[in-house]
Amino acid sequence: MSDSFESSTPSRKRSRWDHEVDEGDDQLLPTRQVSKRRSKPKTSKLSEYSNTPSPSTKSPVKPSIAAVRPRHSIYAPPRTLYPSLQPARSVYSYERLNQIEEGSYGVVFRARDKQTGDIVALKKLKLDEEKHGFPITALREINALMACRHENVVNIREVVVGDTLTQVFVVMDFIEHDLKTLITLMPAPFLQSEIKTLMLQLLSAVSHCHYHWILHRDLKTSNLLMNNRGTIKVADFGLARRYGDPIGVDGLTQLVVTLWYRAPEILLGATTYSTAIDIWSVGCIFAELLLKEPLFQAKSEMELISMIFKLLGPPTSSSWPDYTTLPLAKSITLPPQQSHGSGLRQRFSYLTNAGLNLLSKMLTYDPEQRITAEEAMQHPYFKESPLPKHPDLFGSFPSAAAGEKRRKPFDSPSAPQRLADYNLITDFDLP
Amino acid sequence: MSRALYPLASLEQVEKSPSREDGLPPDLEEDLRAYGCKLIHHAGILLKQKQVAVATAQILFHRFWFVTSLKQFGIGDIGMGALYLASKLEECPLRMRDLINVYDLLLRRASHSNSTGDFKYTPMSYFGNTFYDLKDALVVAEMQILKRLGFDVHVVLPYGTLINYMRLLDLTGREDAVSRAWGYLNDALQTPVYVLYPVPTIVSAAILLATRHLQIPLPSTPPNCWWELFDAEWEDVWAVCGYIMRLYRERSKEDQARVAGMLTKKDVRRWLEEHGHKEGKH
Ligand SMILES: Nc1ncnc2c1ncn2[C@@H]1O[C@H](COP(=O)(O)OP(=O)(O)OP(=O)(O)O)[C@@H](O)[C@H]1O
Ligand SMILES: [Mg+2]
Repeated sequence: MSDSFESSTPSRKRSRWDHEVDEGDDQLLPTRQVSKRRSKPKTSKLSEYSNTPSPSTKSPVKPSIAAVRPRHSIYAPPRTLYPSLQPARSVYSYERLNQIEEGSYGVVFRARDKQTGDIVALKKLKLDEEKHGFPITALREINALMACRHENVVNIREVVVGDTLTQVFVVMDFIEHDLKTLITLMPAPFLQSEIKTLMLQLLSAVSHCHYHWILHRDLKTSNLLMNNRGTIKVADFGLARRYGDPIGVDGLTQLVVTLWYRAPEILLGATTYSTAIDIWSVGCIFAELLLKEPLFQAKSEMELISMIFKLLGPPTSSSWPDYTTLPLAKSITLPPQQSHGSGLRQRFSYLTNAGLNLLSKMLTYDPEQRITAEEAMQHPYFKESPLPKHPDLFGSFPSAAAGEKRRKPFDSPSAPQRLADYNLITDFDLP
Repeated sequence: MSRALYPLASLEQVEKSPSREDGLPPDLEEDLRAYGCKLIHHAGILLKQKQVAVATAQILFHRFWFVTSLKQFGIGDIGMGALYLASKLEECPLRMRDLINVYDLLLRRASHSNSTGDFKYTPMSYFGNTFYDLKDALVVAEMQILKRLGFDVHVVLPYGTLINYMRLLDLTGREDAVSRAWGYLNDALQTPVYVLYPVPTIVSAAILLATRHLQIPLPSTPPNCWWELFDAEWEDVWAVCGYIMRLYRERSKEDQARVAGMLTKKDVRRWLEEHGHKEGKH
């Protein structure tokens, strides 16, 4: 059989090499659950892949073969939709404007694309003094951003490089505001209708990440950006990881999630955790939108635990069956049960029952019982009056990041040190 | 719900390989790439690294040569860098020192294969120049791979798709077919097909080869062709089969020796100087 096997370039007569997309035909393959991981074929939006291979001008134009061929299922996109191999461009493709903020991990600049004039955000990754080559955390951040493209996830445009091998920048769409600064500067809290819109956007982004096996692990208002059109963009995937991956060197015991937004199972030393930790953070963000200030402004892990117990009542064997198996549970003396349920109702006295129900489902002790992002989006809270407000009707705000004047918002603790390898237990103050 | 697709070479990239532009004959480039992948494979075994990391490394390795000439980087260095990087991507990072030791062994054994006498490996000193040279080369290679691939190192491996397709074809009971197809998919990692064709096409090719070999009949007359179920085009499937089958052809001693002597960019440059005008594109 060897003679007929000519090693050749891919055949190019066919439509896959040309700009032709079969749309609208969703002939699904019957078993989509199989091998849900990497190999899951993906649907795709044409608009997202601009750098598809251009059809060779030399190649003969084919007759409409598409009519003969079965059209592509959404699980096997046509060849034109695949991006080509694109070397990283130079950071000098951008003109630097102002520095936005120095994060714990890198510096973020506002910049202008010299070709298109687009305003972008450049996040410089800290790479110097790396003993292990390109840092695995930076790889995770870049991969997570690329893997989680979504209307409500900050769009990564490309990664560019500077003169030396230690200068690497993530280029993102520039987003005018971050939610934390907004909340601080707004004279009045968001309206219920606005909160619903923001929460639906956030949940949709989180559910998208989880669907693609990515845990964000640092959801908080300062990592939620918002543009002038009332659209939230989840940012800062610096602590993101694929779950289902091997535990690996820094394991899942690594300190994650900024203190105020950290789920109780992490606080109590759980060594495995999952998507539920992001939902706890979403619950804290929901509460923060309602209260116009962070829900748990604790100074230490111990203080946070007692604040949580105080607000929700201590966990019980039914509200959290696995509680006693957690490493730090034994060292904690549970306060007595409150007589009249949780303090949530008192704290959120203006919230409807549906709203309170959703909040309590997000702030559920047992990660197994905690609501998922997808379920939360279907919650009656979003269907009762007042309905979510159309984002276009949101007011616009002066942008601090664009260099307009702003006050410094109150400082929240920053994300845990990225390469910190120490365990939660080390600096835990036992009572 | 969309996820960015993994990158494939554009038609232009396929037609103009940078090494060919530098005058390297296509069959030599093909041999060198395959050899580089074998080195990655052997290193993976010696390091007891996971197969997913090894396969990912081999795909990244092939992508690299669509944007870089073998005159600029050696297959040893880039293979080492690709395995280092892929191991991080698959969350099973390697220790630099272990990887360097293994590559040092493999490279020396390879260049020894061209001389007579028994191969005897003397481990290098950690404080000697070899170690630091290799370490520098490793860091540079990893960064160059990232840079030249625009940091898009998303790789989709074919194994899940194979299982899925075998199920759809009702062939999961035929373990011989599954493992044979699996083997073709692994062998295909030595060829550039994972940068040329989408996974469904490659998996269809592996199934075609396996079922033909085992004489398992599948519906193959239009309009009922099994590969169309997977949106694969016959010509493409056939071309992938061609790439795989070429791996198994008899190779002359000279061809084998030629490759083992060209593991570094210096070797490639020397070869080009000696042969440039006879075999190059000019
Ligand atoms: N795409 C963007 N558009 C506008 N501003 C941005 C963008 N990305 C980041 N920023 C700003 O830069 C800040 C830091 O970015 P980011 O959170 O990604 O970095 P970080 O180093 O991980 O920070 P930290 O650890 O403090 O959270 C953000 O809080 C936000 O104010
Ligand atoms: Mg941040």
